[in-house]
Amino acid sequence: MESIPARQASQDDLYREAADKFGSSLERLTSAYEADPGKRRDLRQDIHFQLWRSFQRYDACCSVRTWVYRVAHHVAVSHIIRERRIFSTLVSLEELEMLPDKTEGSSAADRHLNLDRLWALVQSLKPLDRQVIVSYLEDMDARSIGEITGLSPANVAVRIHRIKKVLAKRFHEGGRKGGNDAR
Amino acid sequence: MRDDLPGNDPKAVWLNQPTETTSPMTVTLIQQRFRDLHARTRRKLLGTLAGPAAAGLIYAFAVREFAALHQVLQLLFAFAFGWSLAGLYFLNRGMWSSFTPGDAGVGAGLQSCRREVERRRDLVGRVLLWSFGPVLLAIGTLILALAMVGARDQGIFPNGLPFLVLVVAWIVGYFIVRLREKRELQREMDELNDIEKANR
Repeated sequence: MESIPARQASQDDLYREAADKFGSSLERLTSAYEADPGKRRDLRQDIHFQLWRSFQRYDACCSVRTWVYRVAHHVAVSHIIRERRIFSTLVSLEELEMLPDKTEGSSAADRHLNLDRLWALVQSLKPLDRQVIVSYLEDMDARSIGEITGLSPANVAVRIHRIKKVLAKRFHEGGRKGGNDAR
Repeated sequence: MRDDLPGNDPKAVWLNQPTETTSPMTVTLIQQRFRDLHARTRRKLLGTLAGPAAAGLIYAFAVREFAALHQVLQLLFAFAFGWSLAGLYFLNRGMWSSFTPGDAGVGAGLQSCRREVERRRDLVGRVLLWSFGPVLLAIGTLILALAMVGARDQGIFPNGLPFLVLVVAWIVGYFIVRLREKRELQREMDELNDIEKANR
């Protein structure tokens, strides 16, 4: 992803390459911020528009991937604030860890992870924690998450640990447990 | 056990969610987004006119209804109108952020998050001070005028009372909602500041 020759490429070229490479990731990112399909489409367009604009200022100070995610998260957070989503209804990872699991005692089939429940969980988080969990789910390593969010490695490690605990508790995370990906 | 199913891996579920093929930013789409942005800007500009318009209308109504308006009331109305006009300048100056999407790319999520919350908190504060404040003063003065006339002539005040009660209730409600929003944003700011401190 860093192979894009930033200095020579024009704004349009940079945008086109970034959109090709990260289009699907950006779409998944919008689903973390907006539940309504119509508004989600608008948000996605907004992100693409602002991304295209932002490449005017891109000077390779960070990787294109980091740039794309920083801009995308910023547009999405502005969207939440503009829509006046009340912050007090959103929770931090720490609070989420403490909250009782509503599916406690339900059958294994009910506890089976599905996308709707994952969306609901991600959308209940405060913006910064949402950035961390989205990056984690996008299979990024701790260093990349730190670059995107601006959190220290220790802080990222703590949050990833919490994310894993919450996901394991809520969904009885199976298979590879997603544990060794946050390098 | 269900847990063994590959569908129980959050990362796999997340990464395999259905996505539309995202079309790149075409010229048509860029033009459309620019139009949307302009429309949003126009709406915001019109919104800032609400304060002076309301204060002016109340002033005009008071002058028409109470021909011999008390000197003090004249002064209060004029002050409210002048205040709201000054608010036009201050509201517009603070509304348009110099923070661009490019800045968000340079700064990390924590900084841009903080900046956005701060911007919104300041905006709510400015709206309360420069738009809401003058209207509140104009309405307060109108109520005072009605009360003064009502003391002489029992007819006007009781007739306008239900309307006034509704207006006052709406204003109080609006004020409480905005104050709560401001407090929440401040709390959010404090939390982000704490994270930033712990980050160092």
